[in-house]
Amino acid sequence: MERTRSDEDWKTCFAQLGPALLLFARRWTNCRADAEDIVQEAFVRFWRRQHSIENRALLYATVRSTALDRLRSDQRRARREAMAADDSEETLDPPFLAMDEGQQLLAAAVERLPNEQRKVLVLKIWNDLTFAEIGNVLEISQNTAASRYRYALGALRKTLQPHE
Amino acid sequence: MNDFSELEAELKQLRPAPVSDELFARIERTLAEPETSALTAGVLPRPARPNFWWSLGLGLAGAAALLFLGLGFFAKRTSSPTQAVTETTPAAPARLTSGFQPSKLTQVVYHRHDDGLVFSPNQSEQLLRRVRYDTRQTMQWRNPQTGASLRVTYPAEQVVLTPVSFQ
Repeated sequence: MERTRSDEDWKTCFAQLGPALLLFARRWTNCRADAEDIVQEAFVRFWRRQHSIENRALLYATVRSTALDRLRSDQRRARREAMAADDSEETLDPPFLAMDEGQQLLAAAVERLPNEQRKVLVLKIWNDLTFAEIGNVLEISQNTAASRYRYALGALRKTLQPHE
Repeated sequence: MNDFSELEAELKQLRPAPVSDELFARIERTLAEPETSALTAGVLPRPARPNFWWSLGLGLAGAAALLFLGLGFFAKRTSSPTQAVTETTPAAPARLTSGFQPSKLTQVVYHRHDDGLVFSPNQSEQLLRRVRYDTRQTMQWRNPQTGASLRVTYPAEQVVLTPVSFQ
């Protein structure tokens, strides 16, 4: 099969999608280096399979399966998974760019969301996936994805109200 | 009727941290490498099985032992019909298995796998067809006096090698 995509294509795609992919990968690890490893492996796998870059649900599903593979690979990473699921655990590196005070509060509130809600929120807000696509990526129903999204937004608004 | 639109707009204002140049470079290097050396989770090559012939020999020996065991099992049953009577004499001390007679032997083949053609371990020119049978064998003993029964079930794998010749 001839390769129809050039080396520059992946750079363009990755420059566009990379930050959101990294944000999504960090749902499984608090360590930025680990998240970068996950994104690297998933993106390379996706790109080499010649999948259409339009199929972003598949790209995110690849990130998810790669993250889960790595988490299962040894006990140390399994412990990190438990840490990532712990809502009280602080993220070591800020997942968002430097922001004003209001945005910092919002970003902190996002990080405090339950992990399952955060995944849906990240895929919806920063990756523009539909609920059907999110359901495919996370292997949940479309309705579950939508309800988690609403719960996440509700929790955020409730958290932020005293500060507004 | 999305009453979260304002909050969604605020969330979209948050910009995810950018990807480091180092990650770009790592992906570039990885894509430049041949695919076989990538850290992907595709279909992995089946690992070599250096102990294969050992396993085959042990399997054959086990199958032969089971065969002899089965033959002895039924031979005893037909050749000594009075054994149970003699063992139940008051003079003989009762043992756990005394009085039990073999009553049933079953072998259920629940999986058959044709490995295809292989070379003989001893004669490299000789081609053999290797077929594996996963079986479950059950032996049962019964004490006709007490009605007690004893049943032993165990899994076994049998490997059958059939010489193949091409004309």
